[in-house]
Amino acid sequence: MSAALFLMIVCGVIYAACTGRIAAVEQAVLEAGQEAARTAWRLAGGFAFFGGVIGILEKAGAVRGLVRMIRRPLRALFGRDTGQEALEAISLNLSANMLGLGNAATPMGMRAARLLSAEGGGQPSAALCLLLVINATSVQLMPTGVIALRSAAGSAMPAAILWPSLIASAASTGVGVLLCKLLERGGR
Amino acid sequence: MIVWLILGAAVMGFLRRVDLYDAFSEGAKEGLKSAVRIIPGLAAILTALRILQASGLMEALQRLLVPLAEALGLPGGAAPLLLIRPLSGSASLAVLEDILKRFGPDSVTGLAASAMMGSGETVLYTCAVYLSAAGIRRTRYVIPVSLAGWLAGCAVVGLFFR
Repeated sequence: MSAALFLMIVCGVIYAACTGRIAAVEQAVLEAGQEAARTAWRLAGGFAFFGGVIGILEKAGAVRGLVRMIRRPLRALFGRDTGQEALEAISLNLSANMLGLGNAATPMGMRAARLLSAEGGGQPSAALCLLLVINATSVQLMPTGVIALRSAAGSAMPAAILWPSLIASAASTGVGVLLCKLLERGGR
Repeated sequence: MIVWLILGAAVMGFLRRVDLYDAFSEGAKEGLKSAVRIIPGLAAILTALRILQASGLMEALQRLLVPLAEALGLPGGAAPLLLIRPLSGSASLAVLEDILKRFGPDSVTGLAASAMMGSGETVLYTCAVYLSAAGIRRTRYVIPVSLAGWLAGCAVVGLFFR
């Protein structure tokens, strides 16, 4: 993570210095922190709402039911010794992601990440890496935002991208999971 | 759908004799904490990203990506998304909007760009948020693997729209 940020900042500043855009960069940096806080503030309502709904579903035992249905494939992917609590958070994160409920998926993913990290020490555990890759390669079933944008742009067939995008996102997640499994066997 | 979700949760909670208000506010509290916890990672990424954009380097890099897009079987006009989609959700939406306006939503370029947008995720943001939640700084192989997945997805989009 640090390497990616370092590269972006150093290359950006050097390029700006060469093209005379340092003032614009300075302005952008000052606004970035505020933008982060504004974004979090905007997300907070959704996070709280979905957190509350999930809280009820958990107490009502619905989450345990969900986990029971997909426990086998999850254990196969994330390792046999993944605890019940982590499995619950992972299944909530994945199902919310599939439904396109990002505001429900993120807090659950964060909880899952916290629970999985206990196994890894300073490095992320193989299970945490897998969770990250699955989340970072998108598993959304219905790209509602894109479809809305297309129809706003006057498309005659806004949903024409549904299958291609679904297949592409399945391929990206598939490749990601496969590479994870290859790399975690190779040690670090 | 969200209406049905909350109705289902309420009915189920009631039937199982859950204290609805208690359970909801407890969960909402965790949600709010998550919102605060994403700020540090988000601030770091946005700072780096805005530097890259304001310096003009982002634009220059996007122009360089046309050959990569074509190698993946994608129309050259969709090249900017290759770089921006994994970096930022809002910026890539703006780029997609621009592509749809310039090429038309039902052109090959417009279709390919839309499918790319729908099949990708913000790799950097996702990693930063989840890792900082776990208190871990190292990413091992996560970023290159996620980007490889993204490129594979783009190549699949290229099979549909070329």
